Amino acid sequence: MAQTPKMTSRPASASPLFSIGSVASIFSASSVKKLFVASILPIAIVLIWQFSGNNGSLFGGVLPTPDRVASAWYTWAFGSRGMGLNPYSGTWFDSLVFSTTRVLQGFAVAVIVGIPTGILIGWTRMAAHGIDPTIQLLRPIPITAWLPFSIAVFGISSLGAIFLIALGVFYPVVINTTQGARHVERNLVRAAQMMGASRFDILWRVVVPASLPAIFTGLRIGLGIGWTAVIVAEMIAVKSGLGYVLWDAYYVGRMDVVIADMATIGLMGLISDQLILMVERYALAWRYVNANR
Amino acid sequence: MASIRISDLSKIYPGPRPVRALDQVDLDVAEGEFIALLGPSGCGKSTLLNILAGFEPLTEGSVLFDGERIGKAGPDRGVVFQEAALFPWLTVFENVTFGPRVQGVSKNVYDAAAREILALVGLADFAGSYPSQLSGGMRQRVGIARVLVMKPRALLMDEPFGALDAQTRLTMQELLLEVWQRLKVTVVFVTHDIDEAILLADRVCVMSARPARIARQIPIALERPRSIENLLSPEFSAYKADIMHEMRTAHGQGLVAAE
Repeated sequence: MAQTPKMTSRPASASPLFSIGSVASIFSASSVKKLFVASILPIAIVLIWQFSGNNGSLFGGVLPTPDRVASAWYTWAFGSRGMGLNPYSGTWFDSLVFSTTRVLQGFAVAVIVGIPTGILIGWTRMAAHGIDPTIQLLRPIPITAWLPFSIAVFGISSLGAIFLIALGVFYPVVINTTQGARHVERNLVRAAQMMGASRFDILWRVVVPASLPAIFTGLRIGLGIGWTAVIVAEMIAVKSGLGYVLWDAYYVGRMDVVIADMATIGLMGLISDQLILMVERYALAWRYVNANR
Repeated sequence: MASIRISDLSKIYPGPRPVRALDQVDLDVAEGEFIALLGPSGCGKSTLLNILAGFEPLTEGSVLFDGERIGKAGPDRGVVFQEAALFPWLTVFENVTFGPRVQGVSKNVYDAAAREILALVGLADFAGSYPSQLSGGMRQRVGIARVLVMKPRALLMDEPFGALDAQTRLTMQELLLEVWQRLKVTVVFVTHDIDEAILLADRVCVMSARPARIARQIPIALERPRSIENLLSPEFSAYKADIMHEMRTAHGQGLVAAE
């Protein structure tokens, strides 16, 4: 169990920190050592940050020290809501749910549209000529540039944020899926034809599974962009969520909340990436078997 | 089992400088016969096999398969590829049953057949393994098994053992002889290995590169069943000398014609 699977084509960064079915390996000597080595730098940064502060802040009061951030975070998460006069007491979980829900909704839309579109573009010449150029034309427009458009069309609402997230996630998903479907090994397709597979069989039983590794690459990149998009959208186009709190807290000078918010976003990004990796390990089990030779 | 009749077959790849990959090839393969197509790389032997398989269209001439024009690729002509071309996301058993499953054969029918054939090629214990867990020789056994399970009328093999080490190759050649002896299926076997061609085939067709056609056909009268012991017999050496001479001549003519 402690031995890592040999997979030459798999990037090193693709191994989840914690994977299903390898609980034992988390506690193995090598994993503990890895975790220890990985913790040195972040702990050092936090300590230096803490001890270079004076009376709870750095840079003449601009930046709070980690202990102040931690206490603000605690209040934000577990404090009493009271009369609702302090927006940074007991509201953390709500903000988290708002943002996460939007990311999931936008991500779902992008995946449902992006994967079939990518497969079609990669596999059929008609879609490659008919759809791909339009996507390539729109892709250079950054999602931030879509903000005014989105507010004009959807108003100040969740829908605008979901639109931006879906758009941001769509591009990496569709492009990676296209790459996967376009580079299916020719002899695999021929082998399927030779065994009597119909056009649909070839698409469903050969092209789709052969594209899955590339699709997962797209999903991981896409989810990262999804978190970027939700923060940008909530800063401007919606009045709730982690992005809204980030900007709002900055305006009222609550840098402790700003930093706690940033840490929350980072943590959510990490967790969602790990979740995708777990799904990938399950869906692409064949890539993670121990090779015999 | 099936007969194949190739007449006046040409294949031209169009372009600014069209390439004549096959030039008026004639070949008859009898039912149950084992034919080896032998030649240097670039002589068009793989192109010929791809046309027989239905992967590529022909340009001129005709190919009759059991008296009918060959159509697109299908389970009546089982193809074994050089690199096995297994689906890496399927287990050995799933790879072997891919054909029956896409053809809508019921599980009770193909399940027993697949297990029997896996046993025949010596992979009964590896049904649940993924291709990445197998050696090159074992993968090629799967490649052969998935074709045999469809009971094809002809086997088309494109340098199937070309990527294997010498030891494994001998084992696989013996396995193929055994399987063929039992099933008596028509085989067209592409190779550039003279020993392999003589050991396996009833008839060796030596191909030349320019023009890309069959230079000479040499019937191999070695007694069957054969084994790798045959490689050491004087008759074998005589065939080998003859074919080497033929290949040198065919190659030489090609050079002259090209100038």
